[in-house]
Amino acid sequence: MTFNDRIFGVLLIALAVAYGWGASQFPEPFGGAEGVGPETFPLLLSAVLALSSLYLIVRPDPDNAWPWSRTGIELVIAVVVLIAYTALLQPLGFILSTLLAVGTLCWRMGASPVRAYVTGGVAGVVVFLVFNFALDLALPLGPLSLLEVS
Amino acid sequence: METLGYLIDGFGVALAPHNLMFALLGAFLGTLIGALPGLGPANGVAILIPLAFSLGLAPETALIMLTSVYAGAMYGGRISSILLNIPGDEPAMMTCLDGYPMARKGKAAEALAISAVASFMGSLIATVGLILLAPLLARFALTFGPAEYFALFLLAFATLGGITGKNPMKTVVAACLGLMISTMGIDSTGVQRYTFGVLELYEGVDFIIAIVGLFAISELLFFIEDKAGGGKEKMTVNKLSLKWADIRGIMPSSIRGGILGFIAGVLPGAGASLGSFIGYTLEKKVVGSKGYFGEGDPRGVAGPEAGNNGASSGALVPMLTLGVPGSGTTAVLLALLISLNITPGPLMFTQNADIVWGVIAALLIGNFLLLVLNIPLVGIFVRLLSVPPKYLLPVVTMVAFVGIYSISNSAFDLYFMVAFGVAGYVFRKLEIPLVPIILGLLLGPEMEKNLRHAMDIADGDWTILWDSGLAIGLWVFAGLGLILPYIVGPLLRRRMKAATGTGGPEGD
Repeated sequence: MTFNDRIFGVLLIALAVAYGWGASQFPEPFGGAEGVGPETFPLLLSAVLALSSLYLIVRPDPDNAWPWSRTGIELVIAVVVLIAYTALLQPLGFILSTLLAVGTLCWRMGASPVRAYVTGGVAGVVVFLVFNFALDLALPLGPLSLLEVS
Repeated sequence: METLGYLIDGFGVALAPHNLMFALLGAFLGTLIGALPGLGPANGVAILIPLAFSLGLAPETALIMLTSVYAGAMYGGRISSILLNIPGDEPAMMTCLDGYPMARKGKAAEALAISAVASFMGSLIATVGLILLAPLLARFALTFGPAEYFALFLLAFATLGGITGKNPMKTVVAACLGLMISTMGIDSTGVQRYTFGVLELYEGVDFIIAIVGLFAISELLFFIEDKAGGGKEKMTVNKLSLKWADIRGIMPSSIRGGILGFIAGVLPGAGASLGSFIGYTLEKKVVGSKGYFGEGDPRGVAGPEAGNNGASSGALVPMLTLGVPGSGTTAVLLALLISLNITPGPLMFTQNADIVWGVIAALLIGNFLLLVLNIPLVGIFVRLLSVPPKYLLPVVTMVAFVGIYSISNSAFDLYFMVAFGVAGYVFRKLEIPLVPIILGLLLGPEMEKNLRHAMDIADGDWTILWDSGLAIGLWVFAGLGLILPYIVGPLLRRRMKAATGTGGPEGD
């Protein structure tokens, strides 16, 4: 099957058109138009991208299979965990959010839950200590800041 | 003579105690990274860059540490090749051929020691080559005008897919995407381009975020899909019984491999895969029927290892002198230079001589450190191979998060990094190479600047871009770089496949 490259090629051509159109809308820089304005380089790029994507549509490579089934769900879980990790880093603090994120990832990758979350917790504490004391970089502590010795 | 003076100054920089300490740390971490399956040199350097930043290291110290990581990772790649028959990256494929059989015969320690010595010889030869060739090339590059630079950047992209790359048109697509990302932000005339009014985008996309996302996060996703971790039969390492005669026996192979590797490394796009491949095939030709290649011939370990390490040091020549990296890892090192506000290229040799020569001296010292580290400490690295990736990769991902976070303290950057990771996964699925994207991001601003200068000089006449003999030559080479993979690539891949019997993972 050769759908991947074709679909991707169509998407890229759309991108090239949108990108080129965007370039043509740039306001003229202060001091008037020049030989090479802010739009010249982007316009060149959109032309090259459009041509090379056309090639992908005409001469696509064979597809790699996409993981639709359970593996696909695992991938989505992993991405969700990473996004949640980012969102929780400040409010929950580094150690707790690392415990959750690394633990969940290890667990979903096949480690037993207990060992997974222990790994997450240990990794969180170790990295926190290294960053805070050895490197002098403050990572957020979140609710755990209650424990901080002032 | 001038070079010698600079080099002595360079040793002065590299031998400063704190620089030496970071070189040692880098060599150790690099070997570790190289040894662990799933983490290549590009990945390793990418993850450590944010950490080097957050440490607030001086530019030369950061560079010294990360070149040591680079050299170390090239050393470490062989450990999993020999013990597990899993090449850490494409160049390490050839080491499996005789390294794994040696280990199965109970000579794992000898194979590891031989490969360490050969790696050392390869790097040493290439570093000497770098010292001799780099200043010459830098002086030559000073004659480049903006039009030549523009053509040179095209050459870099054209050859980057390399002859091992699969579909050159996908390299073009990838380079375009990278260049397009590089145009985001406020341009030199003060116009906002593709910022969509988002404040965080005014300064453009930080390439370190892109690199870490594309390499590290996509690696995690790929691993989840593969789930191939662990479960391989692990070799036990015997007690080392290496005689001088053994080392003497592999010296010619190491020297030949190192020289060939260096040449392969300097040539744009050829890189370490070619270095190790020709290192091996040459050994087979030279030794002929007297060898027992494929069944654990030490020369079959020494040749490709020397070639592989020679090529990785050779790849630093175009990176340092022209600002054009020849491989993924050197692209990542280039990113580091740019973010340290050092413009790589010929001028660096005059303006930042201390840094360049400090790094070169550090490379020499790093190789000695690696040799010393690798023979006695190999047991430690071997033990670390048994850490299952299901624990390792999440922790490495977390380290990448902390590294990025500690640079900017901004959640926006982290979301962006995850987005790059997902994109990287999709690209790898589609066999769109990631390195040209990075290179596009890195070189985009310079490329546009040179285009602008060239056009200003010529009053808007486009023919200036191919006006000089040198520029025409570069255009021709760029064209060849795009066409040759169609001819040579399948041939080389078929041969490597025929020789190793495997497809092997994606390369350097």
